[in-house]
Amino acid sequence: MKAAAPVPPYLAPGRDLRLDFFRGLALWFIYLDHVPNNIVSWVTVRNYGFSDATEIFVFISGYTAVIAYSRMMLKEGWLRAATRIYRRVWQLYVAHILLFVAFTAQIAYASIARDTPQLLEEMQLLGLGQNPYRAIFEAALLKFRPVNLDVLPLYIVLLAAFPPLLPAILRWPWAVLLGSIGLYALAYRLDWNLPAYPEDKVWFFNPAAWQVVFYCGAVLAVVAPALAPLDRRWRTVTALAVLYLLFASFIALSWHYNSLERLIPDWLARQIYPIDKTNLDILRFLHFLAMAWIVRLLVRPNARFLKWPIFHPIRRCGEHSLQIFCLGTFLAVTAQIIVSRYEDSIVSQILVSLAGLVIMSLVAYAASWLKAQARVAA
Amino acid sequence: MSRWTFAAAVGAVALWSTGAGAEMQCRASRELLELGNPLAIARAAVAEERELRIVAMGSSSTQGYGATNPKYSYPAQLKMKLEAAMPGIQIHVWNKGIGGQDAEEMVARMSKDVKPEHAHIVVWQVGTNSAIRRDPLTKFADRLRAGIDIGHSLGANFVMMNLQYVPAVVALPDEEEYARVMAEVAKEKNAGLFRRFEIMRSWYNDGMPYAQFVTNDGLHLNDFGQKCIGKLLSMSILDAVNPRRLTGAANTSK
Repeated sequence: MKAAAPVPPYLAPGRDLRLDFFRGLALWFIYLDHVPNNIVSWVTVRNYGFSDATEIFVFISGYTAVIAYSRMMLKEGWLRAATRIYRRVWQLYVAHILLFVAFTAQIAYASIARDTPQLLEEMQLLGLGQNPYRAIFEAALLKFRPVNLDVLPLYIVLLAAFPPLLPAILRWPWAVLLGSIGLYALAYRLDWNLPAYPEDKVWFFNPAAWQVVFYCGAVLAVVAPALAPLDRRWRTVTALAVLYLLFASFIALSWHYNSLERLIPDWLARQIYPIDKTNLDILRFLHFLAMAWIVRLLVRPNARFLKWPIFHPIRRCGEHSLQIFCLGTFLAVTAQIIVSRYEDSIVSQILVSLAGLVIMSLVAYAASWLKAQARVAA
Repeated sequence: MSRWTFAAAVGAVALWSTGAGAEMQCRASRELLELGNPLAIARAAVAEERELRIVAMGSSSTQGYGATNPKYSYPAQLKMKLEAAMPGIQIHVWNKGIGGQDAEEMVARMSKDVKPEHAHIVVWQVGTNSAIRRDPLTKFADRLRAGIDIGHSLGANFVMMNLQYVPAVVALPDEEEYARVMAEVAKEKNAGLFRRFEIMRSWYNDGMPYAQFVTNDGLHLNDFGQKCIGKLLSMSILDAVNPRRLTGAANTSK
């Protein structure tokens, strides 16, 4: 019996559990990494190579954008899909502004209650006190962003540019990917980035560079079936990916052991460093791709462990990524304020890490519950 | 995705975190903290005006790129440490760090950024971006002279802060030449020199791993690195400005 022709993920029915799982995991990692000096952040991916949770989050965002909107476009036309995308962009924008206000209010509260005005300065909110009208104006333009509020603006810009490209992604995925890589290379070479506020600052995540991760995800959602038969033949790709991951983890390990670090010759170190995050260094990008390739081989969409009850909270968080992302960013500041009172206490780091993840999970469950209720009501 | 993958992951975490367990203290030897300049203007300001005004001029290190929180940037730390050490003295520190700038770009804004603050000290963190861009050494030296002249004409003392000792800088073929030129120009122009490169190298040679003080881009200081540099810089400045109040042994815990 011959299997039916493979269906691209964007047409396949049902939900790919991997997307929720890894997006949830990325959200957990982002939270843990945002608590300073956090011992628990040892489990996050950034310690074992070049890339971190941001790549995972942006990649899956691109992948799910195609899955969510291409079906709509094919069924109800481009205009309807584009309108829905812009409604989503609007939701992201509202979420970002709400997060900005809540974030600022929390810091204002903490600094008034504890009489520590320097907290405002610490969180890059000083612009707000010096020139509030200008700062609010710049915040509305996404140019003024306190510390750690950089990911949503990137996502907003990426998704806002997405509708005109959606039909092209379905029809000429490889051309879109080529164009995306071209823009990435040009931005790297010509130092393109969007301006930020205050003057002379640029976006922490350069959209012209980071778009390549988003469109890699988007294109893969279309061309995935074309890759499947190549898995066995592409032993070399797998071997290269494994070798590269080992190389990256060796470099990462060398940051912890000077005896290993001394083994790295100067000419090699000169090629490696610096590993720029703002402009997505090619080493980071390749590291993410190698990781994605291996994960794709190891974790099939129906992998059993994805359904293990202990991973359920992670998947729930991934299903409500926008709410949980905002909540995580907000809680990371709370954690920071709490931990800063017990600077070197490992117990406080572990407690706020766990508490944050528990709160994020509870809210994700509540969101699912509300959604289910709304569906029953409708 | 099976048991062995899980076991490998656990093993990796164990291996990595063992390396992290051995966190070392923030320190530097006394000679390395010597600025080689009395900072006379700053000392007079502290004694007579009960005030110290510092402009931190520099690039990403000064701006605090790489720290999880701007309060860990060395200028913010410098302010906190000086305030704690000199109660009753008004301490102002203006952060004028702009990421990516080299000596030339900073000279261009030196007057604009220093003048309005009436600085007693300009801490000028410079050299790394010039070294990465391979600026000719003579041109680099001329820029430094020009910048210091501008600051001096505005009535400020200088503390030059040289390159950071991090993988991206150490890999350069001639990073020590830039550090050498900075030391020469500082001496010639009667400026203080905060030997960040040598201080951080001593950390490394004492066995402190890069992961403790550098972010994983291999270029920028992380929270620990920023805090420690801020603390050591405050000790250097205190020694010059307020010699009666010796900061004690330089080897102190964080």
